[in-house]
Amino acid sequence: MAPDVGCFLLALLIPAICKLISSSDQVCIEKEVNKTYNCDNLGLSRIPDTLSNKTEILEFSFNFLPAIQNTTFNRLPNLTFLDITRCQINWIHEDAFQSQIQLRTLVLTGNPLVFIAETAFNGPVSLKHLFLIQTGITSLEFIPGHNLKNLESLYLGSNHISSIKLPENFPTKNLKVLDFENNAIHFLHKEDMKPLKQASNLSLNFNCNDIKSVEPEAFTSMTFQRVNFGGTVDLSGIFNGLRKSTIQSLWLGSYEDTDDAELNSTTFQGLCEMSVKSINLQKHHFHDPTAATFQCFTQLLELDLTATHLHQLPSAIKGMQSLKKLVLSVNKFEDLCHISAASFPSLTHLYIKGNTKKLQLGVECLKTLGNLEHLDLSHNDLEAADCCQVQFRGLLHLENLNLSYNEPLQLQSQAFKDCPKLRFLDLAFTHLKLREQQSPFQKLYHLQVLNLSHCLLDTRNQNLLVELPDLRHLNLQGNLFYDGTIPQTNLLQTLSRLESLVLASCGLHSIDPQAFRSLGDLSVVDLSYNNLTHDSLEALGHLKGIYLNLATNVIRTIPYHLITILSQQTTINLSHNPLDCTCSNNAFLTWYQANLQKLEGSEETVCATPPSLRGVKLSAVKLHCGLTVMGICFLVVLLGLFVILLIFAIKFLLRWKYQHI
Amino acid sequence: MKGVLLLCALLLAPRGSGSDPEAAWPTHMACRNGDLQVFYQSCDPLQDFGFSIDQCSKQVKPNLNIRFGIILREDISHLFLDVTLLSKGVTILNYSYPICEEDLPKFSFCGRRKGEQIYYAGPINNSEFDIPQGKYEILLELYNEHRSIVACANATVLCS
Repeated sequence: MAPDVGCFLLALLIPAICKLISSSDQVCIEKEVNKTYNCDNLGLSRIPDTLSNKTEILEFSFNFLPAIQNTTFNRLPNLTFLDITRCQINWIHEDAFQSQIQLRTLVLTGNPLVFIAETAFNGPVSLKHLFLIQTGITSLEFIPGHNLKNLESLYLGSNHISSIKLPENFPTKNLKVLDFENNAIHFLHKEDMKPLKQASNLSLNFNCNDIKSVEPEAFTSMTFQRVNFGGTVDLSGIFNGLRKSTIQSLWLGSYEDTDDAELNSTTFQGLCEMSVKSINLQKHHFHDPTAATFQCFTQLLELDLTATHLHQLPSAIKGMQSLKKLVLSVNKFEDLCHISAASFPSLTHLYIKGNTKKLQLGVECLKTLGNLEHLDLSHNDLEAADCCQVQFRGLLHLENLNLSYNEPLQLQSQAFKDCPKLRFLDLAFTHLKLREQQSPFQKLYHLQVLNLSHCLLDTRNQNLLVELPDLRHLNLQGNLFYDGTIPQTNLLQTLSRLESLVLASCGLHSIDPQAFRSLGDLSVVDLSYNNLTHDSLEALGHLKGIYLNLATNVIRTIPYHLITILSQQTTINLSHNPLDCTCSNNAFLTWYQANLQKLEGSEETVCATPPSLRGVKLSAVKLHCGLTVMGICFLVVLLGLFVILLIFAIKFLLRWKYQHI
Repeated sequence: MKGVLLLCALLLAPRGSGSDPEAAWPTHMACRNGDLQVFYQSCDPLQDFGFSIDQCSKQVKPNLNIRFGIILREDISHLFLDVTLLSKGVTILNYSYPICEEDLPKFSFCGRRKGEQIYYAGPINNSEFDIPQGKYEILLELYNEHRSIVACANATVLCS
C-alpha cells in the first residue's frame, strides 16, 4: 500500500507528467480478433475502451481493481473466461458478474479478498471453474456457494483453511476437483467427508497440508478419481484412514524439502483393505525391500517408485502379476536385471530413466516381459558393445523404445531383431557406432517414427535406413553430411512413405536436385540451420502442399523459376536468411508480399541488403523497379538521336556509293 | 486516475532497457561472511525477488539452505533452471536443471500457480565444493515449459 500512497502524492504534485504518460497509453494485445485479449501487467484500473464488446476470453492479471461492482465488467456480456489474478481486489460487491451469464472460468488467485457479497456469483449460471487460490480464506463459509450449482472445480490452495467441511447448502453434485493444496488441514474427520458423498469421480488434493490423522473409515465406501496426500510423513495413518474406499489414483510422494518416510511392510497394511489402481510414492525411502513389503500391492495396475533410493527389487515378489505400469526412474540400479522383471509378467509400460548410477543393460534381463509395449531407458549412461539383440530379447510386443541421452552404443546389424513390432524408436543424443555399411534398423517393418538426432552418424552409409517400409517420420538433425552435400544417391532413397524429414543443423551447403526424388509423400521438410542457398530448392520441385522450414540458411535471392516451387507449398519459413531487397530480387519480393498467409516467422524475415533496408521486414519493403518518367524521356531522346544518326549514315553511304559508280 | 495508475505502474515496474540506470532493480546481498560475498540483481523487467543463502562460506557444504520469496507470474508445474558461470568475461560453466517436472516434482512448491506468492526456506540439494579465489558473474534463469521467465538474476560472487 505504501508505494501507492507515494504515487498518489507524486502524481498530485506533478500532474503535467501524468498527462504526458497517460497519452502514451499502453494497450492490450488482441490475440484473436474481437474475442481474446491479453491485458496483463498494464496497471489498468478499468476495462479499456479498445476492447470489443464481444470479448470472450480476457486475461487481465496484475492490474488494479480494488473493488469489483456490477459496472466493472458490464460492457462484456460474452465473457466465458476471466483471469483477474493479483489485481489487488479487496471487495467483490453484489451482482458483480451479473451480466456475465456465460462465464465458465473465473480466476481470482492472489487477491486480498475482504468480502464476497452473497449475490456476487448470481449472474454466471454456468460457472464451472473457480480459482480462489491465496485469497486469504480461513473458512469455507466465506464462499457464497448457493449459486455455484454447476461448479466442477474449486481451487482453494495456499489459504488458511483448517477444515474441509463445506457449508450445508454448498452444491457438490457436479464437483470434480476440490483442491486444498498448501493449507493448514491437519485432521480429516468422518463428518467433514459427508457433503462430498454426492460427488462422483471427485479429485481431492491435500498436497502439503501436514495431515496428522485421518479418522478411521472416513473415506469408507467413497469413490475418488484422484487423491493427493503429497508431503505427508505418516503414510500408514493415511492408508488406515482410506480403508474400504475406492481410489483410481493415489499420490503419496515426498519432496526435497519435506520429510520422507521409511517404507516397510507395516506401512502398507491398510492398502490390503482398499481398492487402488495407481500409487505414486516418489522420494520416500525404501529400506531393503523384501517380498513382504509388497504383499498388499496385489490389485495395483500402476506403481511409481521414482527416486525411492532403490538398489534392487526382491526377486520373490508374489501377487503383482496384474501390474501394467512400473516407474523406477532416478534410482540406484547397477544392472537392469536387478529390477527382477519376472515379478511383473503383465507389464506393458516400464520407465527407468535418469538412473543415478551407470546402468548396465545386462543379458536378457527383460525377457519375461512379453507384453511390454513401452520401454523408456533414457538418461541412464547406458553403454554397450554389440547392442541390442540379447539385451532386449523377448520383447516381442515392444512398440515404443526410448534410448535417448545415453553413452555410445555399438549397434549390430538388425540390432532390434527381437522387437519386431517397434513403431517408435528414439535414439536422440546417443552416439551410435556402426561398422561400415551396416543396417541396424533393417526389417523393422512397423517402424513409423525414428529419431536419430545428434547420433553422430556416418551419413554416407547407404544401408543405414534400408528395409523400413513403413517409416513416416525421420529426424536426422545435427548429423553432418559428407562435404555438406546430399548427393543424388543417398541414404533416404529407400524411404518411399516418409512424411516428415528433419535435416536441421546438418551442415548442408547443397542438395542435389534429384536427392529427394523418391520421397513423394513428404509433407514436412525442415532444413533450418544449414548453409543452403536458393539452388537447393530445386530438390523440392516435385513436392506440393508441404510445410517447408528454411529458416537460418544463407538464401539471398530466389530467381523466378524457383518461385513456382515455393508457390505450390502450404507454409514456408524463410526467417533469419540474408535476403536481398534490391530490384534484382523483385519477383520474389512481390510474390512474398502477395503470399503472406503462407509465411511463417514473417516478423523475423528481414532484408540484409541493401544497407539502407537492413533489418526491415520483407513484408514492409516497397520497391519501385519499373522505369521512371525521366528514364523513359531519356530513352526516347536517345532512341531519336540514334534513328537520326542512322538516317544520316545511310544517306552518306548511298551518296558515297553513287559517287563511286 | 488513469495517469496516476500508469505512473504507479511505471514507477513500480520499470521495464526499460539496461542502459537506463533508473530502470534496473536494486542490487541485493544474498550473503556476506568474511572472505565471501554474493550479490544479485533481478533481470526480470517486471519484478524483483528476495533471496538469501544461510551459510556463507568458501567451502560450500552439501545441501545448502536458502530462502527465496517471489510472486509467480507463470504456473510452475514445469520449472527449469539455467545457470551460466562467467569469470573475467569467459563462460566457464553452463548447465540446465529441471526443478519441477510432471513426472518428478522435486520440491513442494511445484505445481503452484500464476499469482501465488511463494516463500521457500529449505535445502537445494547441491553437492560439496570449494570456491576458488576470484570474481564470478552468474546468470540464473528460472522458466517454465513455454520458456516464459519466472525469475532471472544477475549475481556476482566475490571470493578473496
